Amino acid sequence: MKRRMTALPASRLLASVAALAMTATSALGADGPELSYETVLTDLDNPWDMAFLPDGTMFYTEKCLGLSVLLPSGEVNALLGMPEGEGYASTADDLFCEGQAGMMGVAIDPDFEDNRRIYVYSTSNMTAPGTNRVMRLVVNEDLTEVSDRTDLIDSIPYKPEASDHPFGGPGAHNGGRLRFNPGDGYLYVTTGDTHNGEVPQSPTLLGGKVLRIDTDGNAAPDNNAPEGFDPRIYAYGFRNVQGIAFRPGDNRPIIAEHGPWHSDEITALEPGGNGGWDPRPNMAGREDCPDNYCGYSPNQMEGMDAAERAAYMPMTDLETYPDAMPPAWTNNGLSQGMSSAVFLTGDHWGAWDGRMLVGLMGIGFGGTPVGQRIDVVDLSDDGLSVNSVIEMPLPMDSGRFRSLVQGPDGALYAAIDEGDIYRLTPN
Amino acid sequence: MGRVAIFASIITVSTAVSATSALSDDAVDMQDYYAAECSQCHGRAARGMASFPSLRGKTAELLAERLESYRAGEAVGPNSMLMFPIAKDLSDEMIENLSAYIAENFG
Repeated sequence: MKRRMTALPASRLLASVAALAMTATSALGADGPELSYETVLTDLDNPWDMAFLPDGTMFYTEKCLGLSVLLPSGEVNALLGMPEGEGYASTADDLFCEGQAGMMGVAIDPDFEDNRRIYVYSTSNMTAPGTNRVMRLVVNEDLTEVSDRTDLIDSIPYKPEASDHPFGGPGAHNGGRLRFNPGDGYLYVTTGDTHNGEVPQSPTLLGGKVLRIDTDGNAAPDNNAPEGFDPRIYAYGFRNVQGIAFRPGDNRPIIAEHGPWHSDEITALEPGGNGGWDPRPNMAGREDCPDNYCGYSPNQMEGMDAAERAAYMPMTDLETYPDAMPPAWTNNGLSQGMSSAVFLTGDHWGAWDGRMLVGLMGIGFGGTPVGQRIDVVDLSDDGLSVNSVIEMPLPMDSGRFRSLVQGPDGALYAAIDEGDIYRLTPN
Repeated sequence: MGRVAIFASIITVSTAVSATSALSDDAVDMQDYYAAECSQCHGRAARGMASFPSLRGKTAELLAERLESYRAGEAVGPNSMLMFPIAKDLSDEMIENLSAYIAENFG
């Protein structure tokens, strides 16, 4: 299957006004470059992630369709589809989408030139009641097919049934980002709590974690997880980590996490560290909660003050877990759907060279502004705070920013759930 | 979404509408409203995204029925808590006009 990429014209005036409309928690960035954009692909079905080869070839996933690749020529080859996907070179009958689950992260092996390997995170029904898997695939020379699927991890929890919670349908909270750390060469896998109170602090369940493995699926040797933990666990105690990036200079992993009606968080990780999310009932002063998950309590279906929520069900519970890794930033105590993260590098970004970007998908609930945007974050050297957070003035309309990736051309690529992948460049 | 944000969004969309279409006042109002209150979850083309459902191909009657349920605080699906505050203050006329707008433009 081949599809042509489509470029759309800019609408700067409308975009600048829309950006102002969405500004509620951070100042528009005046110190950064003015940006231009083009639409690389449009009319996609929930594009979830992208990964690039040095020549600009872009692999990308669509949550309910599958894995494709955009060639520098502009042609698209559909590589590995779900049963619903049409025109794919091959179909994996076990892969499926449901709610937030489906085909998510994609990463390219650091030695791709030699081994042609890529990695994909997807939901599968190969084992009941479904799990999330990290798959390794081999891409052929002309980028038309993948083969030799090997499931490196096959037991990341999936939520199979609906529960009495906001967004309580099946498939909630999968994490799903895959990224190689250029510093240590290991593959980092982010996962989610699946609306299950037991998962984040569990030493064996792989949800609510950041995993670190080699390209055969083995645990990295110095993950430093506590005794009794699965050795693949690098950090634990998280809600739904959809963003991870490695700070230029020291390659420290920094995650971006989606908060529960409050407190999106950016956190600098430590090997074996606890993120402090523990939504189990009957602990830390809480009582019973709907379906044994306190993640949206109290008052989970109605708006209330975010600080009151945070006091009752903190994202990082430093009272119960004094050694938990403190967040560097909490989005001013609000949850607006923080998702992907990336560090910008290159002189062409001017003052933003070395800054971290986080994409926010937007959740308007209980008086919180929707907040669909990209924030530019200047982390402190120790990773425990931020020097500044500014909102990127977008040259196009805003959207649910699901994935942010810097391409080999130095440009920022941004995918929104609505179906567009944009390329943003400084003027 | 806060009042300032809604207001600014309406200005944005009104500018676009006045420049690009000759819809009736009612239709323009609904276009403004959809852009300000609906599109961030259901999408600019109403086809849905993430775990937010598509509104395409739905009849005005079904859409109105759903909005009336949300207005009454009756859950329909796992994301109902996001619809309750939006539907709470909608008048019968507003529900009728909005449902008709969505059905006509994204049907």
